[in-house]
Amino acid sequence: MEALLPHLPRRTWTRRLTLAAVLSSVLLLGGLVYAFVNEALSAALEAATPYVEQGFEVREDNWSGEVTPGKPLLVQHQVFRGNEYWFWAGTSWPGATVRVDVFDSAGNGVALETFAEGPQAGARALPEATGTYNIRVITEYDPESPAAKEVGDIDFEGMVDWGLVYGYR
Amino acid sequence: MAGLTGVVGVLLIPCFAGAAPDSAKVPEKIDLNDFPGEIISKVVVPIPAEVFAVLNKLDEPDWNKAIALPEETSMGRERAVLALTFGSLVGEGFIAVQANNADKIQDIGRQVLTVSEALSLAGAVRPHSLSIIEAAEKRDWTRVRDELDRTQQTVRETMEKLRDEELSNLVSLGGWLRGTHVVAEFISESYSEDKAEILNQPGLIAHFRSVLETIKAPTKTAPTIRVISSGLARLEAIIEEPGIPSEEAVIELRDISRSMLESFYFVTPTAPTAEKPAN
Repeated sequence: MEALLPHLPRRTWTRRLTLAAVLSSVLLLGGLVYAFVNEALSAALEAATPYVEQGFEVREDNWSGEVTPGKPLLVQHQVFRGNEYWFWAGTSWPGATVRVDVFDSAGNGVALETFAEGPQAGARALPEATGTYNIRVITEYDPESPAAKEVGDIDFEGMVDWGLVYGYR
Repeated sequence: MAGLTGVVGVLLIPCFAGAAPDSAKVPEKIDLNDFPGEIISKVVVPIPAEVFAVLNKLDEPDWNKAIALPEETSMGRERAVLALTFGSLVGEGFIAVQANNADKIQDIGRQVLTVSEALSLAGAVRPHSLSIIEAAEKRDWTRVRDELDRTQQTVRETMEKLRDEELSNLVSLGGWLRGTHVVAEFISESYSEDKAEILNQPGLIAHFRSVLETIKAPTKTAPTIRVISSGLARLEAIIEEPGIPSEEAVIELRDISRSMLESFYFVTPTAPTAEKPAN
């Protein structure tokens, strides 16, 4: 099975195998239930929670995947002048951290405010023009961090998960 | 004293430098033509409510006037058309929320369920449809908006799990088209550059064009898809120039998006016929 899934961290595919087994059981019982939980997105959504009370409406659609730590990711997204945006990023890999920044269509940094707290980060922008903005997500992994050491039995195989959500008001 | 202040200052600088806000790390500029990483191909299409939020800040549109529910009997059975219709109905829901029209939202919630039944997705949609109806009864507009977004997302994810990405993209296209049309209609009624800027969405138009290019036959040659495909090409020709669409461009956008919606959603207006004399 490992040979079939060489590009995924062990924790990810063992989780997926468990998920597949659970789903198979559910299907055998006759119910069509999708029980997938994306933990990186959960971390991003958790970061978004305090802002919902400030009137930000968090979108259901999102971006997520797996990436080599240190390799920057660029998400391109249509924004509208007149709205205020927060982009929140998350990772669930023990020992991984994430940062997020916002750039306009010319590549200028436009985040008015950012935070990066371990596995969660956010960046706020107030677009000066309607158009396509660029959101950069960067993950890092520190095998010596307490979080990584705490789960030392998991072998790091070069990739961490990431998720990105956004809200507007 | 001045000397002491200087010493304290020197001692404090490293301490505060370490605790600098994260925003200080934001670089001035990145080279988008030579980005040293991975550019994510997934496009998240904004929901109509995002655009409506801006329009509401600039104007007081009569959202009730804009609600235009299609006749249920006029809905086709073709899956591509149903997917487009589903997306447009969700877009209609966002219009009805702007209008705070609980009755229309409930009608839309029921129609959404009818279309999802035709798409064999009623099981996934029913809980959302019921939530939409319930939230509208309570006039909880934020929850209605959340549920409409969730409904569309559930349907798209279910389609993608069934390896039906084509249909999933058509759901987004249907919603975007309905939202774009109503916005263009409002702006054409009282044009201003601030409002017209909302329609500056060349990236999304290019995205939808590429989506239609990947659709396989026989869906690709279906009359509705051909109308939408040619309509998007015309929209792209209007929007491709950077800057704010002119008043004439907005009117064209309104008319083109209207004709695209008439291919699957609105009933095409028929030529007036001689009135039958009353008995």
